[in-house]
Amino acid sequence: MLIKDVVCPFCGCLCDDLDVEVENGRIIRVDNACTLGSKTMVGDDRLKAPIRRDGKGWIETTYDAAIEEAAQILLDADRPLLYGWSRTHGEAQGIGVHLAELIGGVVDNTSTVCHGPSILAIQEVGHPGCTLGQVKNRADLIIYWGCNPIDAHPRHMSRYTTYATGFFVKDAHRDRKVIVVDTRRNESADVATEFVQVEPGGDYAVLSALRAIVRGRGDVVPPSVSGVSREQLVRVAEMCKNAKFGAIFFGLGLTMTAGKNKNVRNAIELTDELNRHTKFIISPMRGHGNVYGTNEVFTWITGYPYAVDFSRGIAFYNPGETTAIDILRRGECDACLVVASDPAAHFPKPCVEHLARIPVVQIDPHPNATTHICRLQIPGSVAGIDAAGTAYRMDGVPIRLKAIIETGVPNDTEILQRLYNRVREAKGE
Amino acid sequence: MKVMMNTGRTVPQGESVERKHSPEYESAASVCFIHPVDMMVLGIEDGAHIRLSGSGGSVVLTAVASETVEQGSVFVPLGPFSNHIVSGETHCTGMPDFKSTMVEIIPTEDPVPSVAELMEALGGVRYAH
Repeated sequence: MLIKDVVCPFCGCLCDDLDVEVENGRIIRVDNACTLGSKTMVGDDRLKAPIRRDGKGWIETTYDAAIEEAAQILLDADRPLLYGWSRTHGEAQGIGVHLAELIGGVVDNTSTVCHGPSILAIQEVGHPGCTLGQVKNRADLIIYWGCNPIDAHPRHMSRYTTYATGFFVKDAHRDRKVIVVDTRRNESADVATEFVQVEPGGDYAVLSALRAIVRGRGDVVPPSVSGVSREQLVRVAEMCKNAKFGAIFFGLGLTMTAGKNKNVRNAIELTDELNRHTKFIISPMRGHGNVYGTNEVFTWITGYPYAVDFSRGIAFYNPGETTAIDILRRGECDACLVVASDPAAHFPKPCVEHLARIPVVQIDPHPNATTHICRLQIPGSVAGIDAAGTAYRMDGVPIRLKAIIETGVPNDTEILQRLYNRVREAKGE
Repeated sequence: MKVMMNTGRTVPQGESVERKHSPEYESAASVCFIHPVDMMVLGIEDGAHIRLSGSGGSVVLTAVASETVEQGSVFVPLGPFSNHIVSGETHCTGMPDFKSTMVEIIPTEDPVPSVAELMEALGGVRYAH
């Protein structure tokens, strides 16, 4: 059976034009997807039942027993951390936030180790953004700063920018200019009109120099700024000012290097400056399929997009203190519920060492690095494959993920609702 | 040799990221892209094993020659291998220095560990899928 217009759940592009062929309850072919999306959907390798650690080995268990054990671990904890959420649907994320409130825990999502600093910058100076449809139809200048879409968002260029035909951009390859700014000549730089190579840690200075030039104060810019010549900076500034509609997409090259949130703030303020001359927008290249959704769901329930601490009985937010990395580095939490992510693979070693010392429950269908350090793993179905639900694209557009095969595996919402009900019952509420 | 370590997504790492127990993932995530001139300074060939040590710990990786990285810096795919080197310091931002960690590189004959071995060393129990 051929199913058309399937949404890929892998990255923040949430490409919604996949053709998927299903046979005997299995996905056998995917057309239109990039290699990352295709490999995610075909040959999916999962746990067949919940597993629990038993001494030096592992045994299978039932969903009932696993949920009971998970509930006891959370009930016994004084400072539980509920982390992950970015590869599941919004419905499950919402229950996760309510569960954190019920047990007075900290709930954090994977933006804490991707675009958390971008959110901090946006909270300081705002977000002049727009939908990807606007970019596709209007933008004649694209800047990729500190990101490599060819490897991380392989269809971003073909669906929205470099190679996408738009309503006002009929011949994208000729009508759109592309500038890539990065510390290394990555694959995306090879297709750029202009490549700006910045010395590691030099983004803030280069952004400041561009702001000065756009402001008409190029005279204060030295001959070279973090490895970039003044001539090239002036040329880039002119390209930006002469564009009809410019779009800056930035990645973790700004959020994970020296300056972090201040780099992003400077990039937003450059965008602000450019809007004195023409139309310009800026947006983060969100990684996980529904990481933007975690920020939406957390915010509409608690008022805060990530790192929310309920230990005071109210929602408290202080990134740097209530963020998952900091809580783990300080050895503070005494139990952790991981949902739809893999912190043992993507957190620094000192944080994983603490996770290995405390009881960790993981709700995820795939055996991953966290499997080896958890006490209990409960497999749920996968949003966009055998579970339906809502996800948010990187530009904030909500898109409905379809269940394209039926596996009989409970979805994350069902597992978390049962866990929430059991904890609430045990607390006598 | 002291260099700046950058980390990030690569296509081979992303293709196999949901199969972290697979040989494809382990080989995709345990490489270190390094400039050929820096390899000459270290006296190693393409495919040699090198030990990277940073503020968070150390790990053995396979060196891969690449002119896309500058001399004095290396690129390692994101994942449990690169994160074995990064510290948990966030400078009050919540974000570690994933893309800006100084590392010391030395040639080694030690083997590249598996993901399960990395987790066992931290106190985990191997799950054989």
